[in-house]
Amino acid sequence: MRNRLIFSAAAVAAMLALSPAARGQNAAQQTSVPDISGVWQVTKYQPKLFPNGGAPLAPWGEAKLKEANPETNDPNLGCLPEGIPRFMFVPVPMEIFQVLTRVVIIREGVQALRQIYLNRQHLKDLDPTYSGDSIGKWEGDTLVVDTIGFNDKTWLDASGLPHSEALHVVERIRRVDHDTLVDDVRVEDPMAYTKPFTAQQVYKLKPSWEIQEYVCTENNKYTYQGK
Amino acid sequence: MRNHLLVFPATAVLLLLSFAGATYAHHANASFDMTNSATVKGTVTGFDWTNPHAYIYLDVKGKDAVEKWSVEMGSIGMLARAGWRRDTVKPGDEITVIGNRAKDGKTFLRLSKLVFSNGQELTTTVQ
Repeated sequence: MRNRLIFSAAAVAAMLALSPAARGQNAAQQTSVPDISGVWQVTKYQPKLFPNGGAPLAPWGEAKLKEANPETNDPNLGCLPEGIPRFMFVPVPMEIFQVLTRVVIIREGVQALRQIYLNRQHLKDLDPTYSGDSIGKWEGDTLVVDTIGFNDKTWLDASGLPHSEALHVVERIRRVDHDTLVDDVRVEDPMAYTKPFTAQQVYKLKPSWEIQEYVCTENNKYTYQGK
Repeated sequence: MRNHLLVFPATAVLLLLSFAGATYAHHANASFDMTNSATVKGTVTGFDWTNPHAYIYLDVKGKDAVEKWSVEMGSIGMLARAGWRRDTVKPGDEITVIGNRAKDGKTFLRLSKLVFSNGQELTTTVQ
């Protein structure tokens, strides 16, 4: 396991070191794809995807939501990854790198890395993971990201909206102007919800910001009482 | 104690409106009284410049005894963007902290604003 982690970290480091982005030249500038690289920060923190209630919960989802308690079993309390889409809604900055075969997002926070593969389909027989398997393709000015292969250990938002391993997230990410990025999110999970629903996050470019180190377990005084 | 802990419901609205990046916690704010603002004055005994939260520890003189207060902030990355540094407060500093107290009555506060003894103020809000 340790060897795999070391290899994985080394692979990412090598990929970034060799990438056009690391040479101050973005992949987007070498090809015709839109440039969404840079440090982005949410414009508004949205702890709840349904601030006025009304999530279309199926019976399984409703039962899971009753078990959720933000004070005791939010996976964040244990410094666990947020999963998708919550990763995209946390109000700490993320930096997007574009290399030829993928879009890489480095986040300041619990979960540091998200990879969106541009040159392949979903892998067969995926092991369920916190972030799932994200593949992307450009449709005009929009990066369409399709993610499946999740475990059921994360929440969709800070209120505890649950999801099952059947979660399917489709995001449409586009730079609406130089300083503004928008992620339109569609969530589908027939086990947890009676119908798909959507959410949106808007980000502003922060050219002077750099992603800082964030070691969540350094001084975490909270106790995660989840499974 | 009572002299040092003042509650101003009227300012709570302003604090809620200012809720932004640096005050985001990796946990929910359900355990804090977000409808009232509390003000506590004391002497700094420690400062954890750490993630996921930074903390200031305060000795607060009460009527009969000294109370030990903990003051929680957001992540140090966001605090740095709000103008904080690892030596922003030091043991011995006399400061006033304004924020939201734990609902369970513990001497635990989530910070919105720090006021130094010279009147200078520092918030946790990132512009």
